[in-house]
Amino acid sequence: MSTALEALINRPYEYGFVTDIESDAIPKGLSEDVIRLISKKKNEPDWLLEFRLSAYRHWLTMTEPVWANVSHAKIDYQDIIYYSAPKPKKKLASMDEVDPELLRTFEKLGVPMHERKMLANVAVDVIFDSVSVTTTYKEKLAEVGIIFCSFSEAVQHHPELVKQYLGSVVPSADNFFAALNSAVFTDGSFCYIPKNTKCPMDLSTYFRINNAESGQFERTLIIAEEGSHVSYLEGCTAPRFDTNQLHAAVVELVVLDNAEIKYSTVQNWYAGDENGVGGIYNFVTKRGLCKGVNSKISWTQVETGSAITWKYPSCVLLGDNSIGEFYSVALTNHHQQADTGTKMIHIGKNTRSRIVSKGISAGQSNNSYRGLVKVSAKADGARNYSQCDSMLIGSACGAHTFPYIEVMNSTAKVEHEASTSRIGEDQMFYFASRGIGGEEAVSMIINGFCKEVFNHLPMEFAVEATKLLGLKLEGSVG
Amino acid sequence: MSAVMKAPDVRDEYLASLAPDTNALAGAGSDWLNALRAEAAACVNSLPYPTTHDEEWRFTDFGLLRKTVFASAADISPEVSLTDIAPFVLPESAKSRLVFINGIYAPHLSAGANLPQGVVMSNLAAGLSSHDAVIRAHLAQQLNFHNEAFAALNTSHISDGALVLIAKDTVCPAPIHLLFIATGATADTPQASYPRCLIIAEAGSTCALIEDYVCLNSGVYFTDAVCEITIGENAVVEHTRLQRESHSAFHMAYGAVALARGSNYTAHNIAFGARISRHDLRITQNGEAAQCTLNGLALISGRQIADTHTVMDHAQPNGQSTQLHKCIADGGAHAVFNGKIFVRKDAQHTHAAQQSRNLLLSNKARIDTKPQLEIFADDVKCAHGATVSQLETEEMFYLNSRGLSPLTARNLLIYAFAEEIVDRIPVTSLVKQLSKTLSEQIMEHT
Repeated sequence: MSTALEALINRPYEYGFVTDIESDAIPKGLSEDVIRLISKKKNEPDWLLEFRLSAYRHWLTMTEPVWANVSHAKIDYQDIIYYSAPKPKKKLASMDEVDPELLRTFEKLGVPMHERKMLANVAVDVIFDSVSVTTTYKEKLAEVGIIFCSFSEAVQHHPELVKQYLGSVVPSADNFFAALNSAVFTDGSFCYIPKNTKCPMDLSTYFRINNAESGQFERTLIIAEEGSHVSYLEGCTAPRFDTNQLHAAVVELVVLDNAEIKYSTVQNWYAGDENGVGGIYNFVTKRGLCKGVNSKISWTQVETGSAITWKYPSCVLLGDNSIGEFYSVALTNHHQQADTGTKMIHIGKNTRSRIVSKGISAGQSNNSYRGLVKVSAKADGARNYSQCDSMLIGSACGAHTFPYIEVMNSTAKVEHEASTSRIGEDQMFYFASRGIGGEEAVSMIINGFCKEVFNHLPMEFAVEATKLLGLKLEGSVG
Repeated sequence: MSAVMKAPDVRDEYLASLAPDTNALAGAGSDWLNALRAEAAACVNSLPYPTTHDEEWRFTDFGLLRKTVFASAADISPEVSLTDIAPFVLPESAKSRLVFINGIYAPHLSAGANLPQGVVMSNLAAGLSSHDAVIRAHLAQQLNFHNEAFAALNTSHISDGALVLIAKDTVCPAPIHLLFIATGATADTPQASYPRCLIIAEAGSTCALIEDYVCLNSGVYFTDAVCEITIGENAVVEHTRLQRESHSAFHMAYGAVALARGSNYTAHNIAFGARISRHDLRITQNGEAAQCTLNGLALISGRQIADTHTVMDHAQPNGQSTQLHKCIADGGAHAVFNGKIFVRKDAQHTHAAQQSRNLLLSNKARIDTKPQLEIFADDVKCAHGATVSQLETEEMFYLNSRGLSPLTARNLLIYAFAEEIVDRIPVTSLVKQLSKTLSEQIMEHT
């Protein structure tokens, strides 16, 4: 490994800063009282409090899963602040009224809110810690009947929709972290696309963990009614801290007849320093239900951050002819650990799924693909194609593949392939002989490797992702 | 999970009931062997019974075995004549055959002659007096039975088995046929047998082995087998393993193979029989530049379950492995494949390729496959692929258009799919025998 390249790989986290805003936090710890307090602070209806409490009671009976190919110190769930919100201020009518400190934070992050709003044509629901601060483009969306708001607002204004769909895809007792989230989630995004509506713009949420020691428990719920279409973007950056921060989000997607949701994520949370100290624990449950016929869910993710990433965006293909897609790039460096992949559950007839996963490991990191393709007995004509490729950079990292294929229908067709390779000296030599320097060569090889996934990202995200990978990996090959 | 396996007070009464009476075995061998058996028996008495809650046993429910009470087959010595075993005798191995009835050596059925000096082919009990040191150095050394209840169970029962020693630079001209015969339903109580094989191929030697599990009568019985193979530097071993047990039988088998520098191991694992079978094969490349080829075929139907777990452990650089495993499941059968490939930190320039091809012929059948790669070295080439599918309509159409009836076309395609593996077996008469069985089995289920 050349020294110049080594210097580049060790580039510090660019977004490591703490915004100094007064936080309205409750004391550390978790109990029924804390949950009641969260629910009260958020002025929630009784049924939601009940939902939280039953999730909490079930969570108490569960044990933390240990099957993932990751290791971390035991999490003390009583050492987490479960609610933290910037001090409540009066409702803001325009951007000018927003706390300038907050605006500066967003600027540093490059959230398209001011001028970029027009340029990027992106509506952003900004989650700052746990409370939604401001929502743009709401009116424009309201014109076509689309509801795009924070989860708390949805609870207040559209309780019937929330009640109908909350927990319908990820039940509150689904798994340890989903149960925890169901008990203590503070806010998140809610999106409802009415019948036969094509969302006129990409919807985007920027998540940001700010207050030290505040676990983030986001809840996202997106409902696409018959014949509708929406593209949703989720992006994350987090400031630098030494204590590990737990993030256990739940994302639920419901897609009805002939509708489509495209869900894209760029995740670049603080990954810890080069010695593996600090960083975010990202334990997420993401699941989409293709409930209607001809429905479609497409997950695209670029995972570059977090000390530990543990998530499996899944598709339950219930409706006949429904389609599930998963495109993923997961990059780990230094001491990062990623155990990620997808689940495609084929239940309806003629359901199709496609998985393209690219794992890149560098430094001392470990990167695992874990996927399930399940074809149930009634899923006649189901079809799956999976491809998962790994690239290793350096000799101290690991790449792992755990694909589970379970087929119970004889008309199903399931294909899986995986390969492992590295950026070799011969490839670098080839580039050098063509006059292309090391850094650029790595970037080109990586981008070529990930192209299939990037092609599925919305334009702005694709640009960002390409830059991000280059930045994260520069210097890891020599 | 391993933490759970090691946890104390998980003693399973059923497993414990299968363990041998230690008093009966004491004095049956030397002190070290008694100590080994006692150690294994202690494991049997402290390990849990594997269930579908254990990741490694997720898809294979051995609960049915548990409902059956077995008597140790060692207590029964049925009359078996050469005529009885004639269908299984291979002309190539006419003078290099060891026969075991329910795990017990049958000298009157075995044949050994004209073997070159340096080839030892005998039963373990006899070998203990002449080759005690070698056996002691290798027996239960490759296979770690401390976490595997059924491997421990077999080890606790060691009293006899097959012993093959190929001395340095010796070439064994004929394939060695290790024929394990279960007599099946000859007794009132179902029997359990514990066949054991110990194969040591010293540096530069060459040999071919056929490990063959067959049954004379149908019926319920239990085979719990362990085979350990140590391959020296630059030695070549070609190992064919046939599991053609009764369709009511339970078959549990562990294989452990250790490869030294430059050695070459080829395995052909064929599973046709048993109600529930499981084969765990662990291959470790302890030396540089070792080569491995694994071929596997499971052809099952009815209510059969066939589970194959393989671990290919590349611990040293420049190793190679190629694996092709095929499953054909018809009726209500359930085929399971789990193939792990480990590439350790030092195993640079490893080249590993694995394919799992599965044919699902009925809507009640089920296939679970899990090819798995764990790679800790960067300069390697590893790939795996898995497919689950049925017969191609285009291929069927082609054959129909050439005048073959749909049934004939179907059988032909299934046969061709399976024959690719059978054809690779190096013993001609065996290939013929298996091809016949293959077509019979395919016809039977149409």
